[in-house]
Amino acid sequence: MLEIAIGIILGCCALGAGAAMIAGIGPGIGEGNAVAKACEAIGRQPECKGDVTTTMLMGCAIAETTGLYALVIAILLIFVAPGTFVDILMRTLGR
Amino acid sequence: MMRIDAAVKRETFYITASVLIFSVLMQAVFLIVGFWDVTVLFGNLYGAFLAVFNFFLLGLTVQKAVTKEEKEAKNLIKLSQTGRMLGLLVLAIVGVYLPCFHFLAVLLPLLFPRIAIMFRPLFDKKTSGEKEGENV
Repeated sequence: MLEIAIGIILGCCALGAGAAMIAGIGPGIGEGNAVAKACEAIGRQPECKGDVTTTMLMGCAIAETTGLYALVIAILLIFVAPGTFVDILMRTLGR
Repeated sequence: MMRIDAAVKRETFYITASVLIFSVLMQAVFLIVGFWDVTVLFGNLYGAFLAVFNFFLLGLTVQKAVTKEEKEAKNLIKLSQTGRMLGLLVLAIVGVYLPCFHFLAVLLPLLFPRIAIMFRPLFDKKTSGEKEGENV
């Protein structure tokens, strides 16, 4: 029974990590669109290249943070959470 | 060799300074809570390096992308994002696995650039105010 409970904990952690990493798809698409529009803007007004680059750099960094949140959560779920949850289970069962 | 744009240098410097300030704050919090040991310091240095290096690579990619055609730029950014994310994943896992690093101290600095950018408008307002003052 205990093995099944531990298996469920590990499986749920892995599923959660996988689900979290779905958020890693978004930033790539978002950054791509932002840069494409910035290229268009620079093509129209080449003199504002510096300003556009700065704004876009900050925008891309913000967009990327979503992916980083997902990455951090996934790493925590895979490498840290199983041990913690199994400890809690053991303590609850008094072993 | 590729020439680094002034905007990329400036923003990377800003992010580096902010990450260092937030790292000091994090060390202080660990010290106050009573969890501080040398692994926290090493982990923080490693995580801060990863965060700044990731931002610098993003800057280089953006600098390169603005010189290209729209579609080419889009693909370049997508490719770079995937590569950086995978690299970061591997390096963060190494940081979490190695016993000489505290896992929270490795992972938390990765989120510091976002906080730094959140405070950026404060500095921008100051700079634009100074510029307006110069013009008058």
